[in-house]
Amino acid sequence: MSQPRVVESTLEFPYSRSLGPVVGGFLAGLKEHRILGIRSADGKVLVPPLEYDPNTGDTLDELVEVGPAGTVGSWTWVDAPTPKHPLDHPFAFALITPDGADTAMVHAVDAGSIDKMSTGMRVQPRWRDEAHNMIDDLACWEPA
Amino acid sequence: MSDTTTPKENLVMNHLVSLSYSEELTPILERYVDALIDGRIVGHKCPQCGRVYVPGKGYCPICVVETTDKDEFEVSDRGTVTGFTIITPVAYYGQTETEPFVYASVLLDGSSGNLGGQDIIGVAHDQLHSGMRVRAVWKPPNERTAEGVSNRGWGSVASVIDAFEWTGEPDADRSVYEEHIF
Amino acid sequence: MAATDIAVVGFAQTPSVRKARESEVQLLVPIVTEALARAGLDRREVGFTCAGSCDYLTGGPFAFVSNLEAAGAWPPISESHVEMDGAWALYEAWVRLQHGDIDTALVFGSGKSSPSKPEEMWAQQLDPYYLAPLGVDPASLAGIQARALIDAGKATERDFAEVVARNRANAKDNPNAQVSGDYSVDKLLQAPYVRAPLRAHDFPPISDGAVAVVLARGDRARELCDRPAWIRGLDHRIEVHQPGMRDLTASTSTTLAARKAGYDGGPLDVIELSSTFSPQEIILREALGLDADANVNPSGGALAGNPVMATGLVRIAEVAQRIVEGSAGRGLAHATGGQVLQHNLVCLMEGD
Repeated sequence: MSQPRVVESTLEFPYSRSLGPVVGGFLAGLKEHRILGIRSADGKVLVPPLEYDPNTGDTLDELVEVGPAGTVGSWTWVDAPTPKHPLDHPFAFALITPDGADTAMVHAVDAGSIDKMSTGMRVQPRWRDEAHNMIDDLACWEPA
Repeated sequence: MSDTTTPKENLVMNHLVSLSYSEELTPILERYVDALIDGRIVGHKCPQCGRVYVPGKGYCPICVVETTDKDEFEVSDRGTVTGFTIITPVAYYGQTETEPFVYASVLLDGSSGNLGGQDIIGVAHDQLHSGMRVRAVWKPPNERTAEGVSNRGWGSVASVIDAFEWTGEPDADRSVYEEHIF
Repeated sequence: MAATDIAVVGFAQTPSVRKARESEVQLLVPIVTEALARAGLDRREVGFTCAGSCDYLTGGPFAFVSNLEAAGAWPPISESHVEMDGAWALYEAWVRLQHGDIDTALVFGSGKSSPSKPEEMWAQQLDPYYLAPLGVDPASLAGIQARALIDAGKATERDFAEVVARNRANAKDNPNAQVSGDYSVDKLLQAPYVRAPLRAHDFPPISDGAVAVVLARGDRARELCDRPAWIRGLDHRIEVHQPGMRDLTASTSTTLAARKAGYDGGPLDVIELSSTFSPQEIILREALGLDADANVNPSGGALAGNPVMATGLVRIAEVAQRIVEGSAGRGLAHATGGQVLQHNLVCLMEGD
């Protein structure tokens, strides 16, 4: 029997998302090279900022500047990035807590090699050349 | 830390989600495409209820019994227009048509279900009507491919048949198509 | 108080395979038929049907509609669908059965991961603002979770490898398993990292597969099955979505779901966990308070076969099968959804 035919297909969904004051506020901050968190009902600073308190459901609206430097919590090393990843060479995905924040955000750390990575290491943001209202306006983090 | 005000403008984030898939055609669709390239349209006939599905599914969705190559059944490349619309394209993402076009359902003789989204040529849009008898306008054999046939679709003939044209026959009786409008 | 006289009375599953040539509906047709036959139930008698699948995974909008063809949906039937693991379809059917006006339900879950690129596609289940645009993939989040577990002193890479070796050895007796066999922990630890500290064997296989389960209530369940697997409790709980806003080394939602399902810490003859990445079995064992010698994943679990959208319902079917066949008296099945154990379901079952 001959080789089966292989069908290639692509699904595309072009979303335009209206961001509102909290997510929009965060991304507007990134444009100005500032990282914003939001104060939760119990006074903690959540990064990235959420519109509603995950514990109480209260509406949150007090954006608070944090960072810009931060600390790596846990992390993993991506040896072979996919085309959807923010970097095209080996990097770390990590939980990063910006200074002054009480939670961590997931983002990429461009450390060059796995040997440069460690839990507790200090990192600083690297900004995208031209902001485009996406999370990767903060292009990645790098060792401080 | 310093408090900040909320932004005055409402930002919009444009995000294109693009996902790609790659899969081998099922053995049933392999046979379906082989036949199409050969100029024949084949489906599966349910051994229980006799309904004919084009292409075959490997089961009858009404009786929920499996069907196999043994149930293969060739249908005609002639059929009846059961319903249609004229689409005036708007420029949404992915739309490549620019002029109004026909989107017709054709019930091939011998099949129990429509072939959807077919073009009818040689007839003015305002002359199109349900019940019209049509026949396939096949591409030349060397231009027929498997393109557009996928395991998830409802079957496609676009890679082998350009369109349908009027046969010159009188209209089919309403009873032929009244259960097959869509 | 939820009814405790709803039972699993029939089940069937396909083997987990890396690439099925059949369409997803073709995978479903024979097992839906087999599950109903096992219960001795005509499909026209089924009171309610609920399915779990994912259109992003299948790669076609409204793909779930085709799947319904496996249930013979003409004349029109009473049905529903969840874009979740089939275990949540079972949850919906179980809730529907509580109404009291019907006494049988059919549930199925199906998924073909082979056509897609799971490491790219699954970013779409994440927050579309902060996570999906970064292409955050399940394996990376599992790697972050694994290191958090190590940093917290709760596990080592050797513990992960031991989970893998144990599940793969268990899977030798499971004809539906995709990955099975005897593996040396030392050898496993020599494999390269894929998402350090995780290696390829810490990940589930990429699988195609499907599972179907038949539920019945009260006397009808006794009619259809000599020894029904009674669902004594069923509950699911969810945690905050952002991975950096919860403790990834614990599963509070699993603990809570188990308690709400009525699990009192008593003895269990069989436990099936949807621990799709090896460190998650360690987290789930702790969340459920299981002893080291608990009979966890006799099927080999999700590390032996992971037909996404069916994996959790397979766990329920595996426990139910052991109760129906008499080798277990009481068992617990776990299903998970979302990323790194965000959303967890616990199903507690007993024989008469």
